[in-house]
Order: sequence, then C-alpha cells, then structure tokens
Amino acid sequence: MSLLQRVKNFVRSKSIHVAYVDVGSCNGCDIEVLACLSPRYDIEQYGIYVHNNPREADILLVIGAFTPGWEEKLRSVWEKIPDPKAAIAIGNCPISGCVFNRPHSLIDPPVAKHIPISAQVPGCPPRPTEILSAVLAVAPVVFKDYEVKKR
Amino acid sequence: MALSLTYYLKEFFRLEWLQKFLFVRTVPLVTPPYFRNFPELTGKTCTHHLFCMMACPAPGAIDVIRTPEGWQPRIHLGHCIRCGLCVEACPNGVLTSGRILETMFYDNTALSFSFRIDVDTDRCMGCGNCAVACPVNKLIDAQMSFGGRASTDDLLLKVSEGKCQVLHVEKCTGCKTCEHHCPNEAISVARLLEAVHAPEEEL
Repeated sequence: MSLLQRVKNFVRSKSIHVAYVDVGSCNGCDIEVLACLSPRYDIEQYGIYVHNNPREADILLVIGAFTPGWEEKLRSVWEKIPDPKAAIAIGNCPISGCVFNRPHSLIDPPVAKHIPISAQVPGCPPRPTEILSAVLAVAPVVFKDYEVKKR
Repeated sequence: MALSLTYYLKEFFRLEWLQKFLFVRTVPLVTPPYFRNFPELTGKTCTHHLFCMMACPAPGAIDVIRTPEGWQPRIHLGHCIRCGLCVEACPNGVLTSGRILETMFYDNTALSFSFRIDVDTDRCMGCGNCAVACPVNKLIDAQMSFGGRASTDDLLLKVSEGKCQVLHVEKCTGCKTCEHHCPNEAISVARLLEAVHAPEEEL
C-alpha cells in the first residue's frame, strides 16, 4: 500500500462528512440525529461533521419510510454524493416501514430498494449512541483503500 | 495584572494540558443496562399463549416459533419499537427488557388479556364452522360433528336452535380462528387488554 493511500485512509477515518435526508419519517429519528450534535454526544470530537449538503458528504443518513414524493429525488440525492460514499438507514422505517407498514399505506419500504444501504440502525427511534457508533463503524470499513478497490 | 496574565497563558503550554486538548476524546456513551432495549429471553418456559404477539403494536416485530427446546419468542430487529408491551403481557416472564419485570414485581401490576365473543344473530346462519374450527372445542370434544352440534355443554361455542351460542367465554384464547372461518362475518372476537393493579391470583 502506498504512503499516499495510507494518508488517505487516515484522513478519511478522521473526517467524516454527513448529510441526512428525511424521506417521510415521524421526526423521532430526526431528533435523535440532531441530539448527536448536542454537547452530550458531541459527534464533532470524532471528526463527524453535519453539513447537510450531498455535494460534500461522505455518508448519507436516510431517515423515514419511503413516501411516493421521494421516488426520483432520493436517487438523485445519492448520485450527487462524491465517491467514496455510504448510506446508513436510521431507524426501523427505512428498514421495514415499522408501524406505518400497514395495508393501504402509501409508503414503499425498504429504502434499500432505491439506493444501496451499507448499514442499518434498528430502533424506533435508535439512540444517539447507536447512530454514532454505526457511523464510526461503517466509515473506516467502507472508505478504506477506496482507490485500490476501485481498480 | 501582567503576572496573572502570564500565569494564565502559561497554563496553555503545559504538556499535560496540550495532550488533553489535542488527543483526548470521550468514548461513545454506553447504554445503561436499565434502559429498555430489545427484549431478550430469560430462559423461562414459553406456554404459547401468544399474548406477546397480541399486545405488540408494530407489525411483524415478534413471532413465537417452535424450536427443539419448545416454543420461543423471536424479536425481529428493524420491526421492534422497544415499547416493552410483550414483556408486560407475557404471563410467564419469558422476555425481559430493562427494568420492566422488576417494576412490575414491585408495583404489583400486570397486563391482563380478556376476550369477548360477539355473535351477530342476524347474520349467523348456524353453519357451525366456528364451533368445528375452534381449537378449544377440539380439546374438549374431539368428536364434534359437522354442523357444530354436540351433546356436552362444556364447550366454548356450540350451535343450538340454528344459531351459534357462546357458552363459556372464559375458555377463549383469543386466536380468532372462528372469525377467519365464518363465511358470513357474523362472529367477532374482541381482545381486551387492560392494565391491572394487584392481579387477583396474588391477592
């Protein structure tokens, strides 16, 4: 492994930029994601920054059961993120639809049908610590040796 | 003034302080054991009352499946919302989550299920499908004939005088088999879930 690659691995594991997108949740998981920013959990000490701009993000947090309004939009948000990238499903809704997954509801879970999901955090809502440890666990695995894997 | 400022600035050049400032970070907070988490098995024997499945508000979150060791509830992550109702509804304490079982013990509370069967006499045509399908009836009178007629009165459901009669509603287990087998939607089972303080068997 070249020195440049090693430097890239180190830098990528120390600086993770996150965007989150709510594809129709009840706001419970949004609040838990925002709680990660609070001094109690303080994600910035791990080098995780929330910009909410897909153009400069590494990780996309997908929140909520998939509503029809997001049919084409989620895909385009995902394509705007530069490589290497990963998407994490936060909460039960993007995994299974949770309590909204009833007959005659308009949602279309799981989100994995629409964009590739690399990790899932179950819970309704998941705790901020669980979200935090999921981001910290996924980022080094997905971003390690990205240039080597691409070739 | 100048002295105190020097002392103040000197603090920032202490090696220990610099090390802390640059490198120390808190580990992600661990979840305390008393937090309500996904229910886990306690190892007690499940008696297949299925009260956990009846109390569960999230679709597809809990199943009771048959294993070589007997019946066992399974929690499905990604569906479970950690409400803890299955833990409270279980009559045997098969599941545990956080402090729910301890709290129930100290407060002497329980969730109790009762069932009510309503027969719409205008719709019931006395075909007896409900009485024949009922698993409780099958245990009491395995010889029950087609049409739901029987000689014994110990049954849960029975057809007499051309209508379905509910005889012993306290024997109902709430499985709703009768409801699924009724061709006319005449019979309906209501599951009543109530929180009780000081359950009767402990008084």
